Amino acid sequence: MARLDPYTPTPAARAGRIVMTVVPFAVALVLVFLSFLPIGRIFGSSVMPAFAFIAIYYWAVARPELLPPMAVFAIGLIFDLLSAGPIGLWAFVYLFAYALTVTQRFFLINAPFSVFWIGFGAVAGIAGLVAWAAASLFFGQALAISPILWHMGMTVALFPLVAVVLTRIQARVLPGT
Amino acid sequence: MDPNRTSQPFREFSHRLSLIFMITLAAALLLLGRAETYVFDRARQTVTDLAAPLLEVASRPVAATRRLIQRTDEYAYVFDENERLRAENQRLQAWREKALKLEARLARYEALLSVQLDPSIKYVSGRVVSDNGGPFVDTVLVNVGGDQGAKSGQAVIDGNGLVGRVVATGPHASRVLLLTDLNSRVPVAIEPSHYKAVLAGDNTKWPKLEYLAVSGAVAPGDRVVTSGDGGLMPAGLPVGVVIQTSEGDLRVQMFSDRDRLDFVRVLQYQFPGKVKRQDPPEGLKDEPEPVASAAAAGGNASGSSGQGE
Repeated sequence: MARLDPYTPTPAARAGRIVMTVVPFAVALVLVFLSFLPIGRIFGSSVMPAFAFIAIYYWAVARPELLPPMAVFAIGLIFDLLSAGPIGLWAFVYLFAYALTVTQRFFLINAPFSVFWIGFGAVAGIAGLVAWAAASLFFGQALAISPILWHMGMTVALFPLVAVVLTRIQARVLPGT
Repeated sequence: MDPNRTSQPFREFSHRLSLIFMITLAAALLLLGRAETYVFDRARQTVTDLAAPLLEVASRPVAATRRLIQRTDEYAYVFDENERLRAENQRLQAWREKALKLEARLARYEALLSVQLDPSIKYVSGRVVSDNGGPFVDTVLVNVGGDQGAKSGQAVIDGNGLVGRVVATGPHASRVLLLTDLNSRVPVAIEPSHYKAVLAGDNTKWPKLEYLAVSGAVAPGDRVVTSGDGGLMPAGLPVGVVIQTSEGDLRVQMFSDRDRLDFVRVLQYQFPGKVKRQDPPEGLKDEPEPVASAAAAGGNASGSSGQGE
């Protein structure tokens, strides 16, 4: 039986590890920011898609250890702080969706892209429902359902676009994963 | 033995543990947030102030693209538009004559009655730099901040009508609560009949009219303007027209276009003069004897306890 030497990382490996832990979070942060740009107004629509949610789902399936729960929490919290909504709402919903995805990860990990996409649709649907219920409880009244449907629908529709970019990033910046 | 291998189950366990901890923390924050604490407001303001300059820069190409698309759209319909504007111009010329006559007559009446006129309102123009902020809130960031004189409560209008009001200001950016937001309440008047109501947003495209005394007196198509009640907003700002939904309740179709907000004005309106506290007339001041003596006794008691300490 081969006996392995204890692993001592070289400085380069250490730098690589820092990049690996920072890049997914940084990308998600940029996507949060992108959500708040008034891009929809170009087409005369105020619906904003949750780009960061796509990143959370993507990393939860591809490499959950690169995006720890703390990072998901931080992304959700920053989204909450930038929007004027209840603080903790999207942190909660994103973590919930992350947990859900991580437990179902083995159905999705080597599946074709269509299944990956459908999986996101299911997770987004459940997350939307949870978000709506939590927000309704927070505000103490049944909120209008159409804004959340638009929000999640738009996100699911734009999923392939963001997923392709994330795949590129994973292949280029985080090789061997 | 490979240390990496032994740590695998432990790592998975700690991953799960931290997941549970973080979910609990988020839920706790959500519950705490009900109390609207000062700390949360500060945190939100700090993040907004940090993000506002970035959003401002990043939203420029977005705005430029939008204008380009709008411009090309306009080119396609330039002849039809010209035709329409010519007709409208003719109609408006007639209106202008009428308005001038009425203006002169109004000035004469006002002079006769010595009416207190509203002061002219200063404003600062700014640009909307952010999107609405998620499916449960309808707010935007505007690049006019406290340094430019924006204050909480000021009305924000675009070229067509009222958009919302400022709810938070940083040095360079302010957050504007749109009329459609769940938390937006604006006192309005419905124009020909001048019935008062409250325009209440509910996150849908058309805010509701609440506390309308006589709903029969209001018909779809009536103009809705701000009533100026409460002194926060100037009276008479155009808001929208009354529409009736299929369920039969009255809502308002706004003049401003929430989906295409671009340049807006923050109105620096100040309610003319403060109303002084009204004291009771002299004759009533020392009328209720027993109450006054009780209050005096209470004052004495507290005084003595203060001495005791």
